[in-house]
Amino acid sequence: MASSSPFPMRPMDRSGSFFKLIDAFASEIGELKQEMVQTPSAAEDKQPVVFQGLEGEVSRLYLQSRHCCRAGGERDSGYDSLGRRMSVLDRLTRTHTVWLLLALGEEEARRVLLRQPPGVFMVRRSATLQRKVLSVRLDDDGSAPCIGDFPVKESQYTFSLEDSWISFADLFRLVAFYCISRDILPFTLKLPDAIASAKTQKELEEVAHLGAGFWDSALSRQRPCSPSRPLSRTLSPQRSDSRQPRESRGAQGGDRGRQAGCGNVSAPPTLRAHPSGSSLRPERSQSGGALCFVNPLFLQAHHHRQGESLTASSRSRDAKAPGALPSSRRAPLTSATRIQDVEHCTSKVAANGKSCLTPPPRPPPPRFMPSRRPAPPPPSPAVPPLSPAAPRPPSMGAKSSSPAKNATAPIAVPSNPPPPRPSKKPDLEAHRCHIALDDETIAKAISRAKLAPCQPAGSFPANVPMEEGAGGPPSPAGTNRRGQQCFSDMSMSTSSSDSLDYSRSPGFSLGLPPTPARRPGTHRDPTEDSSEEEEEEEEEEEEEEEEDYGVGLENDLENGLRRPFSTRRRKVGVRLSRGSFILPRALKGKFRRMSGVLGSLVTPERRAIKKIAELSREKGSYFGSLVQDYIGFVQENRNCHTTATDFLQTIRQFMTQMKAYLRQSSELDPPLESLIPEDEIDHVLEKAMHKCVLKPLKGVLEVALHDFQVSSGAWRQLKENLALAKAKRPLELGVDGVVPPDPVAIEKIRHKFLNMRKMYSPEKKVSLLLRVCKLIYTIMQDNSGRMYGADDFLPMLTYVLAQCDLPQLDAEIQYMMELLDPSLLHGEEGYYLTSAYGAMSLIKNFQEEQAARVLSSETRNTLHQWHRRRTAQRAAPSVDDFQNYLRVALQEVDSGCTAKTLLIQPYSTTEEVCSLCAYKFRIADPENYALFLLTGDTSQQLAPDTHPQLIKTEIHSRPRAQAFHFTYRRVVANLNLHNANCPSG
Amino acid sequence: MAIRELKVCLLGDTGVGKSSIVCRFVQDHFDHNISPTIGASFLTKTVPFGHELHKFLIWDTAGQERFHSLAPMYYRGSAAAVIVYDITKLDSFQTLKKWVKELKEHGPEDIVVAIAGNKNDLGDIREVPMKEAKEFAESIAAIFIETSARNAVNVEELFQKISKQIPPLQNPEVESNDSFKLTQQPPPSTRRCC
Repeated sequence: MASSSPFPMRPMDRSGSFFKLIDAFASEIGELKQEMVQTPSAAEDKQPVVFQGLEGEVSRLYLQSRHCCRAGGERDSGYDSLGRRMSVLDRLTRTHTVWLLLALGEEEARRVLLRQPPGVFMVRRSATLQRKVLSVRLDDDGSAPCIGDFPVKESQYTFSLEDSWISFADLFRLVAFYCISRDILPFTLKLPDAIASAKTQKELEEVAHLGAGFWDSALSRQRPCSPSRPLSRTLSPQRSDSRQPRESRGAQGGDRGRQAGCGNVSAPPTLRAHPSGSSLRPERSQSGGALCFVNPLFLQAHHHRQGESLTASSRSRDAKAPGALPSSRRAPLTSATRIQDVEHCTSKVAANGKSCLTPPPRPPPPRFMPSRRPAPPPPSPAVPPLSPAAPRPPSMGAKSSSPAKNATAPIAVPSNPPPPRPSKKPDLEAHRCHIALDDETIAKAISRAKLAPCQPAGSFPANVPMEEGAGGPPSPAGTNRRGQQCFSDMSMSTSSSDSLDYSRSPGFSLGLPPTPARRPGTHRDPTEDSSEEEEEEEEEEEEEEEEDYGVGLENDLENGLRRPFSTRRRKVGVRLSRGSFILPRALKGKFRRMSGVLGSLVTPERRAIKKIAELSREKGSYFGSLVQDYIGFVQENRNCHTTATDFLQTIRQFMTQMKAYLRQSSELDPPLESLIPEDEIDHVLEKAMHKCVLKPLKGVLEVALHDFQVSSGAWRQLKENLALAKAKRPLELGVDGVVPPDPVAIEKIRHKFLNMRKMYSPEKKVSLLLRVCKLIYTIMQDNSGRMYGADDFLPMLTYVLAQCDLPQLDAEIQYMMELLDPSLLHGEEGYYLTSAYGAMSLIKNFQEEQAARVLSSETRNTLHQWHRRRTAQRAAPSVDDFQNYLRVALQEVDSGCTAKTLLIQPYSTTEEVCSLCAYKFRIADPENYALFLLTGDTSQQLAPDTHPQLIKTEIHSRPRAQAFHFTYRRVVANLNLHNANCPSG
Repeated sequence: MAIRELKVCLLGDTGVGKSSIVCRFVQDHFDHNISPTIGASFLTKTVPFGHELHKFLIWDTAGQERFHSLAPMYYRGSAAAVIVYDITKLDSFQTLKKWVKELKEHGPEDIVVAIAGNKNDLGDIREVPMKEAKEFAESIAAIFIETSARNAVNVEELFQKISKQIPPLQNPEVESNDSFKLTQQPPPSTRRCC
């Protein structure tokens, strides 16, 4: 068992163990991906394989294609049929309405699942636990409960099952993983047959359309048992394509296997990938059949407690009567059946999209065994890639060695690419990172691994074969495809689908190579940006996010990269084994720059924001139309506001409403809860709003704010006073006993402020303000060494702002104060924003202050109002507050009040509302009626060209919103309005 | 335990030791888990209280007269205000009275007011008798304590007393009878239509 290895045996440096772990992850995920994808991707098979060990590894990953394509003799990339071949992830994502039922109660979930075969699952929110749980139908045997609830742990940016070491970027990936690997579950999850066997997106859509109703529908009980019709044919009208024969064959084989004895089917496809099999057979015999595939990580875990595993596996084998389980969720097999059925199994995987039902059986001990969690199982000689020096599986974090409940520490996935040069060899022990086991992340490692077979060991630039197709693969037409295949098959499995941006656009999931392949023309050299300053980077980053998705990969990478590089200073310095694979030289640089990406974990958030931003641009969606209409309206009608504050507050109010809308609406698909941990959602929504609303409006806002300043005379006053204040010595501005910053430092600060102006996000602006303040503190402390409170800081800030001589800063501060997420205003951001505003106010009123030493009453009022707005306890907006509804009361002399809630678009005019009212209230003489706004004791008739919804918004955004109503009544009638008791608008 | 953020505003003449008290409070038993703030004007510290964690967000203000007009921005929304005077400077005690008056007129309702006589290690040059200060505090139902930031005397106690006066979260309608109530006239809001 120790004699043969599916892995390349290369001299390992001391970090080798770490890299081996990466390899382990890579292979693990590769397998996962493969099984999820079922894409015949035989490219690797056809290529000269550089490393023998690697061949084993890679071919194992691609075993289905081996089956399909070797038989055919000709490499069919499967590209044409890619659209039909959907990954598990894809299936899950499209049908989340079926299994992601957060609102479903425990009883109902139980009722539904009990009718399902073991392994079927759903994700819901447990009222008792107050968190999401994965509810799984378990075996009926024994006295155990039939439904198991596995709590989902949501840490910052990651999802994991409680007690598991493996974290995922979102719920879909988590579930997809557990469809393949049981990890801590008693067995792998099983997709309902209708989902697992669906062949087309349309079928999935049909299923998804049923939502929770699926479980009560006939579809949920459908079982694929006929050899000739292994799949739910009812759902698959389009089946006549060129690949069908092969598929059917495969499917039949698979079914035959299943029918011959369910246990057989569970032979892991991975077995077949090792024709030599040398490393596997001993493995199997030793482990009593529990281990059926090479997964170094799990192998180790297994060996660690072989005895336990044996017991466990035999137990589960016993439990598994033939036919008891429709698919192979069970790992343990007798070696005979295993060998027999490998082929069936494999073909089935390739053919019918049921790969998830044929998970590679895993031998990890049951979850109740505490010894599972201690991360480092002892090295196994049978698993060469994991050298004895590499006993640190899941978590590489400092805490990983402790068995303590530390599930928040995501698995360190050292998936960044190998270091290009020995000189770059990092101190791995010192640079640990906590990285979620995001398959994207891991896919990068895979893509790296796959580079080798794709590209002969030479070091020509990676993008050459991909962009030019000049790499000289035998099939000329397929070069581009091949390149893609090589790099992206696994993680890009879902690229065939159109529905999900996150699976399609961030080529990030692949590591670098795929993008050039997909959009050769848009390839950008990342080094262009490398020397930018932090602030510019941030702004750039914002700009880049909007660019064509074709370069999304590049963007993501750069964004992910630069942040860690500029601010984290390479805290995450993990590198992969330089020894294992040879990388084209051009890639090395990129990979090196990538090393921070993994630690930054920004992807889920980015992904979600991107999705929201896309939705906001889709006029067909309700959200999109609201946002676009609003933006259009603001751009055209900015004169409707009397003050800048008023203008900004209206926008803030709109963003807050839209956030509330997104939280409640079902337009976001998949729902945000599945992508983002719950306590992060608000923050993500806030960022998304900045992008959807503020970014397009930034230019308009800037001009408008400036116009307000100019027209009110504030601009001139500010400039004059600024000049005056700038001429003052520090002492005259209250700086006492502290050495002020020198001109160089002032220039630096000024530069930062100028950069601040380029940003649209109030949050980023504020963070830049904080940096300026920190710099001021540093200068103060450097010169004296003591801590400074506000007595010293505020005068110094005033002095610095005066020296910077930037009248534009006033509008910047106003922008931040009004648009920043109100929840940040009590914290540090709010404090320094308040200080900057105060300092600016003092400067603005410098003359007055000189004369009277009092702040103008105007400023005081502004401060006062601002605060009132911030602290006003306003209930969260309800549906009625949204811009599409308006409650209008019909007020008649004789019959009192009747109110209706009308659907009124934000920019409907009063005239339109009136005609709608006339219709709804069946008014015979609408010309005598008009719409009135009642506030307190005043009543005001609204002009035909006003916009009631905007008036409503405006009133809502007031610091102390008064009760108000819209009434529709006779103009001439002399009603006693004030006593009328009408429902509130 | 639920974390409750409490904004605390520091008022008082310049030089009475406002920031010294807070630096002492924050630095003693330094909590390594919290992310450090960028400077000493704004500091945070989380302390357990009952079933809650009170995270104090401490806003320091500049004590010079010329910045007085900015104070409303700082104390608004505060759950508590700590007004500091220097027991060796009678002037600072007079300033304190002005702050109390201002808070009463413009400060948030229900704000917890704490009066801290700092530098009590300099008792031999005391100008403000403890009795007088204490009586004043009682007259406005404020917390009173004499502290020494230099010797770390009564600094934590000051904040513990504030914690005690913060109405518990579970039933926010409960009125704490001890606390000093400042009422604020809500200015009539202007109405406008576009």
